[in-house]
Amino acid sequence: MRFIDWLDERLAIRQLIRIMMTEYYVPKNINFLWSFGVLIVLMLVILIISGLFLLMYYKPDANLAFDSVNKTIMMDVAFGWIFRHVHAVGASIMFLVLFIHMARGIYYGSYKPPREIVWITGYILFILMSATAFTGYLLPWGQMSYWAAQTITTLFEKIPVIGPDLVIWIRGHFIVEDPTLTRFFALHVVFLPLLLIVFTAIHLYAVRIVGSNNEDGEPIPKEEKKKKGIPFWPVFMAKEFFVMTVFLTFFFFLVFFHYEFAMDPINFIPADKLQTPPHIYPEWYFLAFYEVLRGFFFSQNLGLIAFVLSMFIAMFLPWLDRSPIVSGKHRPLFQIAFWIFVIDFVFLTVLGKLPPTGLYAWLGLIGSIVFFGFFLSLPIISKIERKQLERGGDKQ
Amino acid sequence: MKELKILAVLVVIVLVGYIGIEPYAKHVMHGTIPPPDFSYLDLPKFEPVGDPKKGRELFKANCSSCHSLKADGIEAGMDKKTAELSFHVVPPDLSNVATIIESHFLANFIRDPQTATKNPKFAMPPMGYLTNDQIGNIIAYLKSTAKKELTGKEILHDACTRCHSVKYQKIPAETSQEHLKIYLGKIPPDLSLMGRAKEHEYLITFINNPQVLLPGTTMPRLGLTKEATETLVAYLDKIADPYKEQRKKIGIWVLIYMFIGVVLTYAWKRKIWKNIH
Ligand code: HEC
Ligand code: HEC
Ligand code: HEM
Repeated sequence: MRFIDWLDERLAIRQLIRIMMTEYYVPKNINFLWSFGVLIVLMLVILIISGLFLLMYYKPDANLAFDSVNKTIMMDVAFGWIFRHVHAVGASIMFLVLFIHMARGIYYGSYKPPREIVWITGYILFILMSATAFTGYLLPWGQMSYWAAQTITTLFEKIPVIGPDLVIWIRGHFIVEDPTLTRFFALHVVFLPLLLIVFTAIHLYAVRIVGSNNEDGEPIPKEEKKKKGIPFWPVFMAKEFFVMTVFLTFFFFLVFFHYEFAMDPINFIPADKLQTPPHIYPEWYFLAFYEVLRGFFFSQNLGLIAFVLSMFIAMFLPWLDRSPIVSGKHRPLFQIAFWIFVIDFVFLTVLGKLPPTGLYAWLGLIGSIVFFGFFLSLPIISKIERKQLERGGDKQ
Repeated sequence: MKELKILAVLVVIVLVGYIGIEPYAKHVMHGTIPPPDFSYLDLPKFEPVGDPKKGRELFKANCSSCHSLKADGIEAGMDKKTAELSFHVVPPDLSNVATIIESHFLANFIRDPQTATKNPKFAMPPMGYLTNDQIGNIIAYLKSTAKKELTGKEILHDACTRCHSVKYQKIPAETSQEHLKIYLGKIPPDLSLMGRAKEHEYLITFINNPQVLLPGTTMPRLGLTKEATETLVAYLDKIADPYKEQRKKIGIWVLIYMFIGVVLTYAWKRKIWKNIH
């Protein structure tokens, strides 16, 4: 008996392959943006593997952490520097890919029924990824690691009643210190990756159940799947592998030749709790949200509320946008709002790194208002579109 | 075609964002770094000339109480401990100092160290009583003992390590931390990773004249020559990033490998998609 038959008898492997791959159909009218989900999975795997190697030499101790990263891993361990570069650049590029994945979902209306659970589990993954990146950034214990953690944890102080105690609970100390490092380490290395894997599984299961959306947002009934779709294996994956190699070429170009954006020079100076750097800023992927925090410069409390809202508001898209038209491709008004939002997001990201003074402060305020303007415009756009549809229906 | 358009939009958005957060934001935050000035012409003109033999005697009389000159077998009149207690910094050995320090600067320095270094608390006492000829003689002597070619590591040792440690090269600071703290108000940073923490141009200008970039800092202006500064900074860059060459070499091979991958996967995709419309 062949091995594959032996396995099939025990695990129904052939049926599994049929259901999951060769007879699982994805729509034909999708573009390469639908390859980004698998790119994220790829990035996650790269991050976990490179992280595992870093973990073999990293020392989670305020006195040892900096040298274990910058001396042991970067200089002493054979090819240790490759793993650090891959991990740091990988985390950064993970967010680029996530943002594109999310923007794809927003533009083509992939958050709408029946894909709400796909959207929400996806959003939870984004929050988990953010937490992973934030805790990971403290680990090298450089100047920017330290002061970014100090600044962001201080935000919690503003929460009424429990704030001050909460900050100390998070830090394990009155300021960011060794206990903060060790707990961030535990979260970054065990807890958050575990949750990421679990939620990725749920996310993929949900996609599998409701099926992929497509450029026209057109629902595909079961019977037409075969006619209107392409099999996941080998057709979809043939394209996916091509996209993957192009993406990896770009990724490794960054890893070897252009990594500065992901490894801030200031972080090559050890953390010094007595010396605040002149400019403190988070990694680029948090800059837009950070700018919303600073945008309401006249009131710290308002800024904090806006910040929290900006991090979570997109999760409620399925309920903000109730228009029956699914894909942005067929929604002229929505397209205007969407592109303004994208430009505003880039604008906020850039502003987030600039000093918040003078003109920049006011631009930050305007940018923050536009950011929320997008989400508030959606119910209105939905209403207009619904009216138009009803009128169109009358005429016919 | 349509997909290329989508790709073009992505590339433009990413590029605009990148330029905004990297080159542009850096420019706004740090400004442009002013170029170094290796002529030190803010100090009075002073081209020292003289006789090394006389210089040797003058050196022994005026300098060797504090400084050694090992190349000529001269030991310092005081040991490190005493020097620390007196000046809170260990005076450097002067064997090669004439190659490291620009001679017009050095002449001005000997007469008035506090003005030349732009550090009013600089620990070496001024020697206004020395005539120009005497100073010329001393410098002629220092030139006669100095090696003409120095490595970055040697320059570092003679010019910086009395204050700075370089941990990753196993070079401790010669002066103990508590004394440095008293002398300079803070412990000077370790130099192991300076080449990565600061830009090349920043280091050149900072070593040339610390006050330009950190006004009010207690790091003295040391008067290094252009060649010494460049050799030194090249060394700092090298120890901070020892695998630069290896990284480039491996990087090229990885990209070639990936490029072959792109060609192969594209061919396979074409084959599979031939009959799909
Ligand atoms: C009383 C002790 C003392 C005497 C005498 C003395 N020095 Fe110094 N010198 C010092 C100390 C201390 C330093 C280091 C100060 C510092 O780095 O802040 C120093 C530093 C120097 C430097 C390094 C400056 C630089 O730019 O890197 C030179 C060169 C130098 N001395 C030359 C001389 C010469 C030449 C003489 C004799 C004419 C002399 N010194 C006499 C104490 C002395
Ligand atoms: C007399 C002691 C002294 C000597 C000698 C000295 N330094 Fe410094 N250096 C300092 C002090 C003090 C600081 C801290 C400056 C501050 O933060 O104000 C410093 C800071 C620096 C910095 C960090 C600048 C920054 O932007 O934070 C660099 C780089 C540096 N020194 C390089 C050198 C090099 C290279 C040499 C040798 C050519 C040297 N130093 C010699 C005292 C010294
Ligand atoms: C670790 C993080 C994530 C992983 C591993 C992941 C993975 C995937 C994969 C493999 C797909 C199917 C392929 C595709 O359509 O691209 C997918 C689809 C989808 N994901 Fe994610 N995703 C992640 C995060 C997110 C986030 C943050 C969101 C949005 C908030 C999101 C929303 C969606 C949506 C809406 C779909 C369906 C798209 C459609 O059918 O049009 N995902 N995801």
